[in-house]
Amino acid sequence: MALLEAKGVLKRFGGLTAVQKVDYLIEPRTINAIIGPNGAGKTTFFNLMTGIYVPDEGTITFDGKNITGLKPNKINNAGIARTFQNIRLFGAMTVIENCLVGMHRRLHISLPQTILRLPSFAVQERTAQQRVEALLDFVGLRDKANEVAKNLPYGDQRRLEIARALASEPKLLLLDEPTAGMNPQESVAAMQLFRAVRDEFGITVLLIEHDMRVVMGISEYITVLDYGQKIAEGSPEEVRRNPRVIEAYLGRGSAASHV
Amino acid sequence: MATNALFQNGAPQSQPNWREALPTLFALGYVAIVYFLLHSIDRSMLLFPLWSSILFPMFVISPFIILGLKIDGRLKVLLIAIIGLVLMPILGLEDTFYLELITQIAIFAAMAIGLNVVVGFAGLLDLGYVAFFAVGAYLWGVFTSNANTIVQISGAQAAPELFWLFLFLGVIAAAITGILLGLPVLRLRGDYLAIVTLGFGEIIRILVSNLSNISSNRRTPINITNGAQGLPGIVGPPLPDFLVEGVANLTAALGIPATNVRALTYQLFYYVLVLGVCAIAALVAARLDNSPIGRAWTAIREDEVAAQAMGIPKVRMKLLAFAMGASFAGAMGVIFAAKNTFVSPESFSFIQSIFILAIVIVGGMGSIRGVILGAVIVTLLNLQVLKNFSLLINSLKNIDWVIPIINFPIRDWPQQLEPARYERFVFGLLLIIMMIFRPSGVLPAKRRQLELQAAMGKEEIPEAEIIADVETIKPEDLLGNQPKEQS
Amino acid sequence: MTAVPNIASSTQRSPLEALGNWLLQYILRPVLQILLFVFIAGGSISLLALVVGFVLQTDWHGIDILRVPARINLFEQVVRQLPNMLLDGITIGFVYAVIALGYTMVYGVLKFINFAHSEIFMVGGVVGYEVMIRLRAADMLSSLSPLVVIVLMIGVAMVICGTLATVVERVAYKPLRGAPRLVPLISAIGVSFFLTDFVRGFQALNRNVFNMPYPTDQVTFFNERIVLAQGVSTTNTTLIIIVSAIVMLVGLNYFVNATKIGKGIRAVSQDQATASLMGINVNLMITITFMVGGALGGAAGVLYGLKTTNVTPYIGFIPGLKAFTAAVLGGIGNITGAMLGGLLLGMLEAFFSALLPYFPALGLGYSDIFAFAVLILVLLFRPTGLLGKKVDEKV
Repeated sequence: MALLEAKGVLKRFGGLTAVQKVDYLIEPRTINAIIGPNGAGKTTFFNLMTGIYVPDEGTITFDGKNITGLKPNKINNAGIARTFQNIRLFGAMTVIENCLVGMHRRLHISLPQTILRLPSFAVQERTAQQRVEALLDFVGLRDKANEVAKNLPYGDQRRLEIARALASEPKLLLLDEPTAGMNPQESVAAMQLFRAVRDEFGITVLLIEHDMRVVMGISEYITVLDYGQKIAEGSPEEVRRNPRVIEAYLGRGSAASHV
Repeated sequence: MATNALFQNGAPQSQPNWREALPTLFALGYVAIVYFLLHSIDRSMLLFPLWSSILFPMFVISPFIILGLKIDGRLKVLLIAIIGLVLMPILGLEDTFYLELITQIAIFAAMAIGLNVVVGFAGLLDLGYVAFFAVGAYLWGVFTSNANTIVQISGAQAAPELFWLFLFLGVIAAAITGILLGLPVLRLRGDYLAIVTLGFGEIIRILVSNLSNISSNRRTPINITNGAQGLPGIVGPPLPDFLVEGVANLTAALGIPATNVRALTYQLFYYVLVLGVCAIAALVAARLDNSPIGRAWTAIREDEVAAQAMGIPKVRMKLLAFAMGASFAGAMGVIFAAKNTFVSPESFSFIQSIFILAIVIVGGMGSIRGVILGAVIVTLLNLQVLKNFSLLINSLKNIDWVIPIINFPIRDWPQQLEPARYERFVFGLLLIIMMIFRPSGVLPAKRRQLELQAAMGKEEIPEAEIIADVETIKPEDLLGNQPKEQS
Repeated sequence: MTAVPNIASSTQRSPLEALGNWLLQYILRPVLQILLFVFIAGGSISLLALVVGFVLQTDWHGIDILRVPARINLFEQVVRQLPNMLLDGITIGFVYAVIALGYTMVYGVLKFINFAHSEIFMVGGVVGYEVMIRLRAADMLSSLSPLVVIVLMIGVAMVICGTLATVVERVAYKPLRGAPRLVPLISAIGVSFFLTDFVRGFQALNRNVFNMPYPTDQVTFFNERIVLAQGVSTTNTTLIIIVSAIVMLVGLNYFVNATKIGKGIRAVSQDQATASLMGINVNLMITITFMVGGALGGAAGVLYGLKTTNVTPYIGFIPGLKAFTAAVLGGIGNITGAMLGGLLLGMLEAFFSALLPYFPALGLGYSDIFAFAVLILVLLFRPTGLLGKKVDEKV
């Protein structure tokens, strides 16, 4: 059974239809990519899947549960975590606090527990701390645990966003242009990290990416959006040979890609 | 001598280094000297208002000096307890004006801590906070004042003994009001929310000023709040006789002439009660801040979208902040009504909300210690310093004093410019100056300071976004051969 | 009022035709639009008043606080009072509309609620008083033409308040640009409080007064009554207020839509970054916005003073909040919306003031609640206002 299934998802902004009746499937434990020219509706599609926008039409099912129109926090609770294209960390919080926020739904601490500082409070806080430290180890930020997020270098901020998303223990991780602004070496390291996320935690990964080396290098399944419509999908090899994809990129490439 | 003994109790140091003890000794010396001077200044002296408004604030901030020392926490608590529960009451018994001042400071401190939960922690600007204070005050007022027709008719007047129950009910009622207000308005953006809460505060004030008749029959009016005249004759909890006797003995032992021991006992009782509530409020706020709830509030404050995407229930957390903040004000409202034995709509006007907001801002949004210091500064400024300046000017006028150098005869100081009557002027200026020069307050919360710095440093024009739009996918990447893995 | 002049074609027309076109575009159309708004607001409130009067004249609803004493026929009262109610509503509505423009323009450009605008308005009222008092002292109040008196009062108020608003912006808001939204808002609250007491202290020193009654009785023209219909009459003051307000609204419309600076302001309100890339001086546009908004607020203060014939340093708060409500009701950031919102709110106020006294359980004390209630309801159900557009946050 598919982990996520979108059926006929449509989103309009005024007169513009950003996402037009897209059907989309994600199999468990795969690495997927959505590509497409700028303004193709990729990020909008992400926002629809994570509840930041509500689709005008269509349904999205995740893990057998209809999540269409749910609030973002409910969708996170259902098991979808994400990062943002223009990194949205909690800048004034430390690295470890950022991750602890991500872990919010895994903590079951009530108001009386907090105010009275019952023993169960300390136990939960301690385990949460340990789990976050393990995660920071995984993404390689352990030694920066107590630094303030906005002081981190760019690449580390991207990693931290991933660690924060992983802290909510998702089944599906959505990465919005995770290697944007990285140099080739950093991109390679990032790719290794994405693979490790899947291999070690069994988390399904979906990324939006412009860097074709990254897309072709790690994706098992690629979907191409153009003008809000799905124009192709398949393995990297299939997509690369698809004439519609070539047309979408090259046909407008000379005119639109360097505006 | 005392310091040495205490030191060995607190920190397990066999040989306390005298250099390390120096700041502590200084602090203790400071407290002792200020306290002694405050005791010995003569009330009949010409410059008494001036000395009093210098020395009393110096005394009141001494707990903050002690908090800043590098000594064992338990020792700090002990020292502060001595200042708060021994030195201050003795001073207060000698001059009840000081007792009244410190009680007011504690009342406003507790409310500011509550508002700080809403503004400082959750980042929601509430301009009608005093409404929750009104809920608590009128809850106790309506059930104990005999000006209320419902009580008159039904005879359901609450017994003074129920004060403690109502203190609890005040917390609940204010929290519920907070949730009821919050439910519809919390999805509004920051500045709109501020104006709506202002509107809500004004609605509550207009309601209590007008609920003096809710019957359509002019012959049988039903009076609830007694309108603008306010509710008189509100009672406080009964005090056991031994307390009154104790205070009588104490004043006798200290050689203080006390005319009305019962009233004095009440004043002392409210001081301790308010101090206690204030301490509880500070403790609860600190624990909330340092918990998953506090982290969730910070996250929402910094980036709502990201916080929600990380699984934080935005509306629920905001409602919690509103309810928690409101509950402190509710408790203080009940105490306020009992202490003043009178409530009227005047105490719940917009300027009161701004007054509490000014405390939070001066002290430092998000910083509990800062907010308490803010309450000290702003309340003293309002109730003591401005008033004393008026007094001082009047007494200087009497002796025909001339300001040297500029040769200004103080007698020419216009009557209309009495400092005590220009609180709006002072607070307005205070708010502007704080926002421009130190928006994070006198004792800033570290995190808040970082946030403000980040925001102020940001360029208006989001250049990065414009550049990102130009950058686009390269067809060669897609059509080219195998991606080259570089190592 | 979003007419864009057609530059290309206007060059080919004869001067007379061009003038006619100009008149149509910038005078006739806005005036007709304002009249339409008056009609809409008046019509809807009349309907509301008649329905409420009809429904509540009997006790069928069983709600005690909505009960009118048996001897009063509420519907008859409503019908009898309707003309005066409308006249009152239009007058105060225009004043609210002029104040609301100040809020809405600043919000449009800076996305910032200029809380101190209510005090700029108050200063306008005080300046109007000063001008009148000084004219009286010079024995010119009764000898000068009433038109000159009005123009002087409004003109001086506009100059002083426009300058004041600019100074306030420079001192208290400009250093805070780019800070979180709440920082300048708190600063604005500070300015508002500061100005209230500053003016109080100033007038206490200057004339030793708190209440500042306009000496309108010295100008007989102000108090001459005009009979509009049988039993419906009003004073010239009402007429002055309405006409001055319309002149200002039309003038602002011209300024914003036809002048180069107006276009600059509109560009800045749409996108500051792009506007500055196009060579528009953003800071200058912001200053001008404050100046124009402040000048309008000052003029509104004079009109308000003429209507109520008494100003104090504390008059700003409530009308300010009502005008802000009007701006939100019309769609904040939208100039046309502010006019419609102001008129609607003025009408609503007149409606409540006329009806509340008939209910023994309510009374006039509640008349200020309606503005807050409208504000809250609008923000809850249609935060973009009647004429606003929805804006999504970009993620």
